[in-house]
Amino acid sequence: MPVALQVNAISKSYGATAALQDVSFQLERGQVCGLLGENGAGKSTLVKSISGVIRPDSGQILLNGEPYSPKSIVEGNQRGVSTAFQELSLVPTLSVALNLFLPHPERNKLGLVPARKIEQQAAGILEEYGVREIRPSALIGDLPLGVRQRIEIVRAMMRKPSVLLLDEPTAALSDREWLFGLIDKAVAEGTSILYISHKLDEIRRLCSRCVILRNGHKVMDSEVKSMTDDQIFTNMAGRSAVETFTSRASVIRVDARPRLEVRGMKGPGLEKVSFKLAPGECLGVAGLEGHGQSNLFKALVGLSPVTEGTILVDGTEVSLHSPREALKHGVTLVPEERKSEGIFSDLSTMANISMPIVDSVTRFGLVDHNAERRAVTAVTPSVNLSDRFLPYGIGALSGGNQQKAILARALISGAKCLLLFDPTRGVDVGAKQNIYAMMTAFVRDGGSVLFCSTELDELVHLCDRCLVMYRNAIAGDVPRDELSQDRLLSIASGFRAGSATAPASRVGDVQ
Amino acid sequence: MMAQPSPWYRRLGGGALPAILLLVLMLVVYAIYEPSALTSFGIGNLLNNAIVLALAATGLTIVVLTGEFDLSGAGVVAICNVLAATLSMGSLGSMGTLGFVLLVGLAVGLVNAYLIAVLGLQSLAVTIGSLIVCQGIALIILPAPGGEVAEAIIDGVTGDIFGIPYAGIMMVAIALGWTFLKNTRWGISVYAVGADPVASRLSGLNVASTKFGALVLAGLCYGAAGFVYSAEIGSGDPRISDSFLLYMFAAVAIGGTSLMGGRGGVLGTLVGVGILTVMQKMLFAIGVAEYYTNIFNGLIMIAAIFFGQLSPLVARIAHRRPA
Repeated sequence: MPVALQVNAISKSYGATAALQDVSFQLERGQVCGLLGENGAGKSTLVKSISGVIRPDSGQILLNGEPYSPKSIVEGNQRGVSTAFQELSLVPTLSVALNLFLPHPERNKLGLVPARKIEQQAAGILEEYGVREIRPSALIGDLPLGVRQRIEIVRAMMRKPSVLLLDEPTAALSDREWLFGLIDKAVAEGTSILYISHKLDEIRRLCSRCVILRNGHKVMDSEVKSMTDDQIFTNMAGRSAVETFTSRASVIRVDARPRLEVRGMKGPGLEKVSFKLAPGECLGVAGLEGHGQSNLFKALVGLSPVTEGTILVDGTEVSLHSPREALKHGVTLVPEERKSEGIFSDLSTMANISMPIVDSVTRFGLVDHNAERRAVTAVTPSVNLSDRFLPYGIGALSGGNQQKAILARALISGAKCLLLFDPTRGVDVGAKQNIYAMMTAFVRDGGSVLFCSTELDELVHLCDRCLVMYRNAIAGDVPRDELSQDRLLSIASGFRAGSATAPASRVGDVQ
Repeated sequence: MMAQPSPWYRRLGGGALPAILLLVLMLVVYAIYEPSALTSFGIGNLLNNAIVLALAATGLTIVVLTGEFDLSGAGVVAICNVLAATLSMGSLGSMGTLGFVLLVGLAVGLVNAYLIAVLGLQSLAVTIGSLIVCQGIALIILPAPGGEVAEAIIDGVTGDIFGIPYAGIMMVAIALGWTFLKNTRWGISVYAVGADPVASRLSGLNVASTKFGALVLAGLCYGAAGFVYSAEIGSGDPRISDSFLLYMFAAVAIGGTSLMGGRGGVLGTLVGVGILTVMQKMLFAIGVAEYYTNIFNGLIMIAAIFFGQLSPLVARIAHRRPA
């Protein structure tokens, strides 16, 4: 079969992070090739390189045998490559019709874009692609996410590309069969499709071949039929040989009242979340990106609105409308985005750590630096942060040391319940071990940890129990003796139900 | 399925609706206290008072729609005013002067556009710089108020044809010109880029060239405003446009254009200009001392922005029907 797209050894780095390294693969005409990988594996970078949004640092792409290095997405479109982006590329204040025809809507002799006419044309196109319930004059911003995703897909397909890139096209889609039908039709017409997804059932349904990326490298390129689910999961998740985990005995205080209890919490991006966290427990939260973990952590400290449900701390119902209020009840969040939400980059490391207690180390309204130092050095050993870093601006520290300082800040506040959102992201192996040790000590002393991580092996080895989120709800609650990466990943992909008590897998539901 | 037209209030720019109601109300009050307001002389006077701010605020609106700021307008008006006052009696003549000040506006616009759209510098900071430079240049050209603007320019700008003041014709031309522009591809991308630059880029729109065009067009508008301004006051004053900047922004905001970009339009701005102009005349007619007019201007602006926030909500509720 003729090759439609050939990618030869392309690499792309952002600063010190290599997003793609020497990735090569082929896409044959009329073939659907799956592209799998965990968050941050480089899938979106690869899509953006092929579509013309970014330019790879090295390597070469051939399109239908000819060299192809698009300088812009428009050039990519003209060459017959179009993309339905994961983050959706529709302009919210423009109509459906205009969005479909961007960037070059038809114009009349005067140079005007005739709104009525293109709305009629758009109606025809939407009809052709089986999208019937949308008025072409409606503004994109007024439409629900699932409908926008359909329009994004229609826009990519209506250009009749020779190579179509679909980046997680079912993330917000309720009716997957609609998409599958369109894909089958496009393939019959000779379109080649690169299909990015986490969802194994979709890959099996659509793709003959699949490419798996991990940490920017291609780790597998094979026929889908010849692979078992386990092989695919193992290749996606990978095993880290370097990191060792010391197993620890459970220190859960079973008889005590739950430190934190959430009943039926609902809010934007959260559906009926309930769980209990005991003193001495490390409770994991797993899930693929954008399945509500971030909303859950933010809602627990009042950073994201809660429309329904109750939160209890030590058995008493509380309202946590701000991180400040949450801290009063002993709950503190170590946020996801260290740079923008975690550190005060212009202040010293000392000041960054002492922030929560700075009121209590003042004399006559001025900070008493000796008292501040005593308070800070009382907690820094637990995260193994050397005292010599304290006077420096925190911006000068490595990511690992910054994270240690932020954890020291959480400890100094005297919180009994830590909400840790991906605390080991972007930190070195040594710092990771320090962070694990600190968490272990914290629960041993009766503290509680809610621990979200994108690295599944961490969850498997550190947690007493692990919740798995899927589509903004808790899809599984895996006890310690059943924890495995494959198990977590498969629930997080919506591939199989987590346990008997969890809601049945909603993958196949059709609205 | 039939394509349905957008509702009329959306075509007006949504946010401008409360401003229109306010303008009508103020005109009625003004007319009650000052019966001559509705004579052709009164209307002509009003239009002549409003046209300078209208031209300048139009330029600013286009830049704001793309999600950027432009403070250089007051500086361009200052330069153009002193140039008109020193050059128009000389060999350049009135048309030559017009051409020259438009070129000055274009030049400032091009410099802003290069720094902001091409180099990606922050527009607020860049245009504070160009504002100060322009004011400085104006002071060098004419260190103290003085000079004289050619009679031909004054007659040509403030006069009328068949009883219709030129200012009115210009106002209508601005409105028509914008209605045309915003329905071109460029106009559509102005709104798109201001609303969501990332989605615009992924949709294939050229964000940089859209902003470039907006900043250059704004420079031309400021140049035209400076020219008309010179005709109105008949002489040059390098400092007189200093307070002008805030009124430009006030007109844009009152007219319902979001300072975050992507929403609003020039028609709303013209209504905002009308409000600021009628306000002063109305308060004067009622007998309120001039010292108080600033307080009212500011309060009106805050009120207009408050109601501007409400009106999309109202429109959305009225518009809600099965999609």
